[in-house]
Amino acid sequence: MLKPLAPARWDYAKAAHLLNRAGFGGSPADLERFTDAGLEKAVASLLEAGPAEDSAPSQDWAKPDPARADRLREMRQATPERRQELQREERRTQREWMMALRAWWLERMARGRRPLLEKMALFWHGHFATSMVKVRDVYLMWRQNQLFRRQGLGGWFELLEAVSTDPAMLVWLDQAQSRRQHPNENYARELMELFTLGEGHYTEGDVAEAARALTGLSLDRTRQAYVYRPLMHDPGEKVFLGRRGRLGLKDVLEEVLAQPAASRFIVVKLWSFFAGGTPAPGLVEALAEEFRATGSRFGPFLGAMFRCEEFYADSVVRSQIKSPVQLLVIAVRQLERELPPGPASAQVLRSLGQDLFAPPNVKGWDGGASWITTGTLLNRHNLAAALVLGEAAMPMGGPRAEASAERALARGANRWPPVEAARLFAPEDRAAVQKLIAALERRFIQGHLGTRSAETLRAYLQTAQTFDDHHLRQAIRLIMCTPEYQLA
Amino acid sequence: MRATVLGGALSWTVPSFLAETFHALEAAAADARTQQPTGKDATILVVVQLAGGNDGLNTLVPHANDEYYRARPKLAIRPGDVLKLNDDFGLHPTLTGLKSLWDEGRLAVVQGVGYPNPNRSHFRSTEIWQTASEADRFERHGWLGRYFDNACPGRDATAGVSLGRQMPQAFAGPQPIGVCLESPERFRAFDADPSSSREGDADDFYRRLNQADASMASDAAEMANAGSSIGAVAGHAATGISPLDFLERVALDAQASSDTIRALSQRGRNQATYPVGQLAADLRLVARLIAGGMTTRVYYVSQGGYDTHTNQAGAHQRLLSEMGGAVKAFLEDLTAQGNERRVMLMTFSEFGRRVAENANGGTDHGAAAPMFLAGGALKNGLLGKAPSLAASDLLNGDPRYTTDFRRVYASVLESWLRTPSAPILGRKFEPLPLLAGA
Repeated sequence: MLKPLAPARWDYAKAAHLLNRAGFGGSPADLERFTDAGLEKAVASLLEAGPAEDSAPSQDWAKPDPARADRLREMRQATPERRQELQREERRTQREWMMALRAWWLERMARGRRPLLEKMALFWHGHFATSMVKVRDVYLMWRQNQLFRRQGLGGWFELLEAVSTDPAMLVWLDQAQSRRQHPNENYARELMELFTLGEGHYTEGDVAEAARALTGLSLDRTRQAYVYRPLMHDPGEKVFLGRRGRLGLKDVLEEVLAQPAASRFIVVKLWSFFAGGTPAPGLVEALAEEFRATGSRFGPFLGAMFRCEEFYADSVVRSQIKSPVQLLVIAVRQLERELPPGPASAQVLRSLGQDLFAPPNVKGWDGGASWITTGTLLNRHNLAAALVLGEAAMPMGGPRAEASAERALARGANRWPPVEAARLFAPEDRAAVQKLIAALERRFIQGHLGTRSAETLRAYLQTAQTFDDHHLRQAIRLIMCTPEYQLA
Repeated sequence: MRATVLGGALSWTVPSFLAETFHALEAAAADARTQQPTGKDATILVVVQLAGGNDGLNTLVPHANDEYYRARPKLAIRPGDVLKLNDDFGLHPTLTGLKSLWDEGRLAVVQGVGYPNPNRSHFRSTEIWQTASEADRFERHGWLGRYFDNACPGRDATAGVSLGRQMPQAFAGPQPIGVCLESPERFRAFDADPSSSREGDADDFYRRLNQADASMASDAAEMANAGSSIGAVAGHAATGISPLDFLERVALDAQASSDTIRALSQRGRNQATYPVGQLAADLRLVARLIAGGMTTRVYYVSQGGYDTHTNQAGAHQRLLSEMGGAVKAFLEDLTAQGNERRVMLMTFSEFGRRVAENANGGTDHGAAAPMFLAGGALKNGLLGKAPSLAASDLLNGDPRYTTDFRRVYASVLESWLRTPSAPILGRKFEPLPLLAGA
């Protein structure tokens, strides 16, 4: 089992580590509150079952769209020219809704009262990796997102059951197309390969048998909802992972989760997302044991993980390359400012390689070093400038930019001012270069800069006569362009 | 605006003591560029990934093969429409660009390329092609990353340039080498200090942050001269590097290459008309970078959308039309530059598709498929053997490979990039006769 961190070792840096990883960081005031609360209370507050809903989204995309089926029917029956026109309209609507949904989610990450819940929703989004590109229905994408919020900290079996019947997933991995005459193996395969066990823990025969067992899970496209169709289900006997019988969804999930590989697989993924890297074999066993001891429930398991000594090891703290979403949301919380306008945020995340609701493939985002290329790193630097200096420095455009995002910004609906830098620092912090550097490190790095970064920052500050808004902004921008800042 | 030795312009202002350093640094780097690792006249490889699994049978069409027409009642390309290369094979009717390259003697097609125990997962099969591994072995590093590591001393980041948002796994190596960008215009850090003419401009310090401060000048000079010992300077060659070292490296490469690439892409001129589309735009940029004098040895571009499970005919036609047209324009451009004998273009896809069409007017994941090679120094023709399409010869409905893809890599490495292939591919693969006069 996992060994808890000694309370005496809890400090500001560890509180920052916890909040960066289990949530989306915070201002020095947030981090101090966490530090003062102590490890136990800090973890408990992250797990606390407060209201998951900060505000019920009343938007068009957060409810079923009964007219959609009619529109799609009209489209199919229309003349080719009319069809093209209708398709364009539909795409435009969906694009605008998607922009709104992305902004809505980012807002919850940046301002919501349940950071761990949102972080876990992000984990599940990468894990189940469902993309709008194929699903093409923002309402279904939002529903799946809500599912992660509702059940993301609950039990593994219940979550898998819900995901297996989630409309977006039914479309994404073709389960809705599966018939007893031609079982589609896509979902059955990924359920084991990517979601629960990993390659090598089942046979091709198991895939085929699971696909048979899962037939009947289907989608009512008019209601945009899951429906079980008994006539599509193959009621015959199957042999799956050694169990024989007239198996269905529940039986398949039970057998999958009964495999010894199951608990190891999911804890390794969770560790790598929250702590980073691949855990050593001994730690995998301890984590898996912990997971089983909690009855395969994620909330209690994460609680134990966030309390354990290994989570605060030197090799773990400040060693994770921030994902684009982490980078953006942590930055706005550190800067105590609002997010960039929805279209700009979406565009930025895209240019950094993390399009929310459109992961690159069924494996999700690879994470880690793959976030960083020469191109995305320069984009990160430009983002830093824009976050500090406002819309004038907003990196937009490029050949692959989403035209709609540019148009929305060009309309200028959302003004976006420079950050109010002076109020981020106490007067005594602005009294001397050394103090200011310490305050910058405390807010933005929560550790120490390397020699070159610190020296460059010092050299810049020494050229400044006064630490006014202008110089403070430029100093912040510089610290946000250090290699150290890319790590959390 | 200050002109640099690269002929471009740096839009930031630079204090004079730093400017001198930059000058020295760029001069040293420019020398290094012309002398090593490649020399201005060295050969260049352009890899074109056709992502999603290109339907090889409708690309290189076996127009005299009854099995093909039986397996594809709806999707088969009729013999009359095929652009015939010989009595047995021809190109998809939309590949007129490639057909004219063939007629000019600048196209080679390797038939039936694949590997033993083919994997039908996009990810796994792409990984196998990118790492040149056995189907049952997992390699972390890519074949081009190993090539950079083995054969490009001096750790010049621009030895490999990939266009797009993601670095291909083929570039992954023990050291981060390779530049990844979407467009030269965007591949830069924008000036962000409005007081840019004042002493103490923050943009200067931004640059110092990611390397070019005075104390680094000696390192840079060393780097230009030291050749392969740079691997040792970086220090973690064998073990992989820490996240922070990795970030520092990439930041340095980004800053250094951003100036070069922007300057050279502006210096180079396109002299051919390209079709519309991302692949065409990317090849157009590659042509400009070559014209501008980049010493890059390997360019990597990709075109997605080949996963044609449903309604394949129209989609596949559009993809091939862009691909063929883009490749043709690219070669014309190179010819106008006088570089056509320096460049070889190679296409690959993670797999071909099932011989039989499916019930949705498409084709499912398959196995062996042809690869195209284009360039002025190539031996024209069909290489290797086309796989049999007889039902009894298929492997789960797919053509069996006749040429291991690593033989093609070996040929490219040995005869084109002129480096021993065994250290890069892990063992010896028999090369194919790719070059004219070979």
